[in-house]
Amino acid sequence: MNITVCAKQIPDPANETSYDNGIIVRPEEQVLDDTDRYGIEVALQLKEKFDAEVTIISMGPAGTMKGLQQALQMGADKALYVDDDSLKGANSLMTANVLSELAKTTNADIVIFGTESTDGYSGTVPQQVSRFLNLDCISYVKAIEIGDDVSLTRQTSEGSEKVKMPQNCVISVTAGGVEPRYPNFKDIMAAKSKPIEKVELSTLNITTEQNLEFMSIEALENSKNGEKITDEGEAFQIIVDKLKELKVI
Amino acid sequence: MKTLILGEILNETLSSGTLEIIKKAQDENLDFQVITIGSGDAPNIGSESFKQTYIKRSSESLQFGNVTDLITKIVNDEGINLILGSSTYLCRDLISFISVDLNSSPVSNVIDFEINGDAVSTINSINGGESLYKSKIASNHSLLLVRPKSFEPADVELNDNFETIDVENSDVAIFDIYKEEKTGPQLEDSKVVISAGRGMVDKENLVIVEELASKLNAAIGGTRAIVDAGWMPYSQQVGQTGKTVKPDVYIACGISGATQHQVGMKDSKFIIAINKDEEAPIFQLADLGIVGDTLSVIPKINQNL
Repeated sequence: MNITVCAKQIPDPANETSYDNGIIVRPEEQVLDDTDRYGIEVALQLKEKFDAEVTIISMGPAGTMKGLQQALQMGADKALYVDDDSLKGANSLMTANVLSELAKTTNADIVIFGTESTDGYSGTVPQQVSRFLNLDCISYVKAIEIGDDVSLTRQTSEGSEKVKMPQNCVISVTAGGVEPRYPNFKDIMAAKSKPIEKVELSTLNITTEQNLEFMSIEALENSKNGEKITDEGEAFQIIVDKLKELKVI
Repeated sequence: MKTLILGEILNETLSSGTLEIIKKAQDENLDFQVITIGSGDAPNIGSESFKQTYIKRSSESLQFGNVTDLITKIVNDEGINLILGSSTYLCRDLISFISVDLNSSPVSNVIDFEINGDAVSTINSINGGESLYKSKIASNHSLLLVRPKSFEPADVELNDNFETIDVENSDVAIFDIYKEEKTGPQLEDSKVVISAGRGMVDKENLVIVEELASKLNAAIGGTRAIVDAGWMPYSQQVGQTGKTVKPDVYIACGISGATQHQVGMKDSKFIIAINKDEEAPIFQLADLGIVGDTLSVIPKINQNL
């Protein structure tokens, strides 16, 4: 079984995102998006049961490749990436187009994602990839049970529904759906010798175009200058009084 | 502009997200129709003032491929240029699939949009609502995912004036459906919301938030950090990738206020924040900020209510 996991290198989310002409500024050193750890974890659990090969695919400025290393440290076998200046500011459809083509080169049976990246958060790429690949999409998976069959529980607006995982499909995994593993020292060392390969964009069949034109970013004044009181043991009373004033109680 | 609104049913009627988009479409005088996707017999979702089509899924299989084929065909047959859906699980899926068919990238997290002749421009909120990001769509089809609560819901009288289309089953069988018990106030429409963050230290401590919530008849939310940590389900996440709430009172317990969280709650009418760190960004949004330990303040509130 070939399992392909899409992972994204993003600027450290602890820092505020900055933009240049509408495009996120990406430092040389980017980290693995935590969202992707859930998808990688699902892939690794499937690998343990079905003897699969797990390939990470990624698009974006490679930089120091710290994020890709982090994905390999968790236990993925290898990584492929596309890094091309013409993809700077790529919309979600173009991103999905590139990732679908990359997934094809891995002969993926199963393609796994997080639900949305922490920096772009469009939340549409997994579904778009499934449509490009003409595969069923099992989105918002919040639980997985691996036996002889694999059952996936999807989050829906009313609750959840459980389906049997098809032989070929795209899956997106919600945060908290599984418990991502932490690599130990041995894993970290082992990752250093795993292959990371660059794929040239020109070898992929790209049929999409940029259709979103950046216009402007306008800063808003959000600060409210509300009351700020340091608790010396009695602050609860201020809240209780306020709740009464607001007629909550 | 010929417009399609993707609708959903929640609590036996059109969802509030759907009604919000209908309101915007009415205000902009758009030539719109609604396609609502659901399973089972639909309640009254039709109207005298717009065309409504009900795509009836079965509860036996996932039929996204077939539903998408149906919608794409209608878009092409009827020359629809603008497709709108609320940022929900279902509409995110459908608009993503359709975007591939129409070869036009969708815009997510839209909080407002403008139509000038044939041109559609969208406004997104970025950096936790500190800035607005405007862009223009340069393709024949514009696909927008609109954040819930961006507009007031339309006040329309609903009736049984709609057509129903059945969908063929797919190979992906659904073998279990679980309806979440919707007891107590729901995040999206509760007048009071209490949210918990990392400052709660341990999952066990959420009991004090639950106690306060039950005393105030409030819904409970959480930050991405604690959802990621498995303290709460994804469905209770407030923020950029979670729900947007606009309650009368929002109580942030041990939440530092990362921009990703702010975007989901900053428009609450009155914000109370309790946090140990007096520099926490949440205090910039708070109407009432208490610099202190949530774990000591909340139990005292509970005892005094």
